[in-house]
Amino acid sequence: MDLPNRPKKNRTLLNISLAAVALLIPLLAGGQEYTLLLFCIIEVYIIAVSGLDIVFGYCGQISLGHAAFYAIGAYGTAILHNTFGLPILLTMILSASLAALIGALLAYPASKLVFHFLSLSTIAFGEIVYQFLIHSPGGITKNFNGLFTQRFSIFGYVFRTNAAWYYFGLICVAVFLGAKYYLVNSKTGRAFTAIRENTHAANGMGINVRKYKVMAFATSAFYTAFAGAMYIHLASYVHPDTFTQRQSVLFLTMLLFGGSGSLLGPIFGVVSVELLIESLRAFQDYQVLIYGVLMLIVIVALPGGLYGGFRDIAILGKGFLKNHSRHRLDKGRE
Amino acid sequence: MLLNLIIAGLVLGSIYGLIALGYSLIYKASGLMSFVQGDIMTVGAYLGLTFYHILKLPFAVSFLLSILCAFFLGMLLEKGVIRKLLNKNVMPIYVVLATIAISYIIQNALMLGYGSITLFYPSVFNVTSVKVWAANIQPEALLCLGTSLVAMVLLHFFMTKTKLGTAMRAAAMDSVAAESCGINVSLSTGITWGLSAGLAAIAGMLLGPMYGVFPILGATIGRKGFSGAVVGGYGNMYGSILGGILLGLLETLVAGYVSSVYKNLFAYIILLIFLFLKPTGIFNERAIQDV
Repeated sequence: MDLPNRPKKNRTLLNISLAAVALLIPLLAGGQEYTLLLFCIIEVYIIAVSGLDIVFGYCGQISLGHAAFYAIGAYGTAILHNTFGLPILLTMILSASLAALIGALLAYPASKLVFHFLSLSTIAFGEIVYQFLIHSPGGITKNFNGLFTQRFSIFGYVFRTNAAWYYFGLICVAVFLGAKYYLVNSKTGRAFTAIRENTHAANGMGINVRKYKVMAFATSAFYTAFAGAMYIHLASYVHPDTFTQRQSVLFLTMLLFGGSGSLLGPIFGVVSVELLIESLRAFQDYQVLIYGVLMLIVIVALPGGLYGGFRDIAILGKGFLKNHSRHRLDKGRE
Repeated sequence: MLLNLIIAGLVLGSIYGLIALGYSLIYKASGLMSFVQGDIMTVGAYLGLTFYHILKLPFAVSFLLSILCAFFLGMLLEKGVIRKLLNKNVMPIYVVLATIAISYIIQNALMLGYGSITLFYPSVFNVTSVKVWAANIQPEALLCLGTSLVAMVLLHFFMTKTKLGTAMRAAAMDSVAAESCGINVSLSTGITWGLSAGLAAIAGMLLGPMYGVFPILGATIGRKGFSGAVVGGYGNMYGSILGGILLGLLETLVAGYVSSVYKNLFAYIILLIFLFLKPTGIFNERAIQDV
């Protein structure tokens, strides 16, 4: 795992160069709105996948139902804003908090279930939310028609271009990744890692396993729901079919592709998977087939994810044998 | 009305039961959860359609042929992908994702091969309805009930009375001990996956004539099969059959008397309730809980 409390010059340099590239993207993309839109979506996914990483990568709990939180965030902010006219940023935070509450309520009874059965309960939860979206009482989600939002504005500033939205998204990514950095290095974060490595040992050391599992789920739900809220204001329209189980699997694929339990892993995963899917757009009919085959190849050939793979190559190249702690930890998790 | 609903519920329930039975067999044999079961059911339904409708073979022959094909597909899956992953000692989540990836591949491949429209079987019998007491029933529904019952009873005798079945149960119970008794554990695990796939194909062949066949036919039924398996006790053969039948009955009654809108919601709520309150299911299968 990445233990960021191990200061390293290389890492600072990497972070600074990543930040510089991120800032310059709208200039590099020029006037190409579509390319910029792609990067905006990447920002949304980075937050969503980082959220999943808290619960999966750090706390070791599986979720195949994160699309539900994504949906709660998206629909929550739109409904609150359209019905009550609350400021958009406030509704985004409110809907994400609602998702966190629901996540905690789900995690409380689910925390005693192990791996496979936890994944089943999250699948069931995702399906329940999806069923609610398509058959909502009173039609508040507009069911299969999908939901429209008004133009995105914050404190009176109206976002007219994708570039403006991109910088808003970048601030959100910075805030959420910063918060994640502090979370995983705090006492809570260390408790999460202890639970992931060995639940019984963590329990024996006086960590309240259920409490921390609930916290991990709630935080993770907040992240993913906020990403959902960002998504609906970027697209100005959502359809329930965005929130099927396939979306949850996509989040997980991105996370595993990039490498879980790190700050940069989700970024790598989101960028590579999103660009991959985008490049498959030409093969419309075969898209899912190719996606499935690639997923299978990555799973069979590169279980450490891309980030892990790059690291392995870097480690081999530099003879950095001290750095192989990541592998040891990965094995301990099985 | 009630009789019609009960028969419809039993038919749906027997399908869920067959799928749930496959999950339980796989869980017992390899401690894994397979997300392809529903899609193998779709494959079975399409294979049946190909043999029966396109190649014009008799129904019974196409039935057996598609079971046979699914059996080898299941074994291939275990030997080609799952076993490889397990040998690499990867995190269990990768096995789950691998089965999900295979399910995507199957769905998309079927869509490319057969198109995404619903295809219908030519009717299996000459009559369109049979009178049972006061209800008019599709003869295919009775075929479904009868055949799944026979399949379950045959499986019971296979597992308890034959040498191979006993060996499979031993391998599932304790693979090391079974290996030292001379049982080929790898082969028996493969056969278990094959059997589960065969059961799914039976479900597909029985459901096809009633519902028609489309590429995502098995996706929903596969997920609801989980519900049936958990209700009965995940990993318990008899429990999953009972759980599946109960779920089918309840779901149909809810759809008939309350609202068909909440039919799907119902199955998942039942799944959550059982997972949270009684994860061991009706048959009290070994509790699978964390701290």
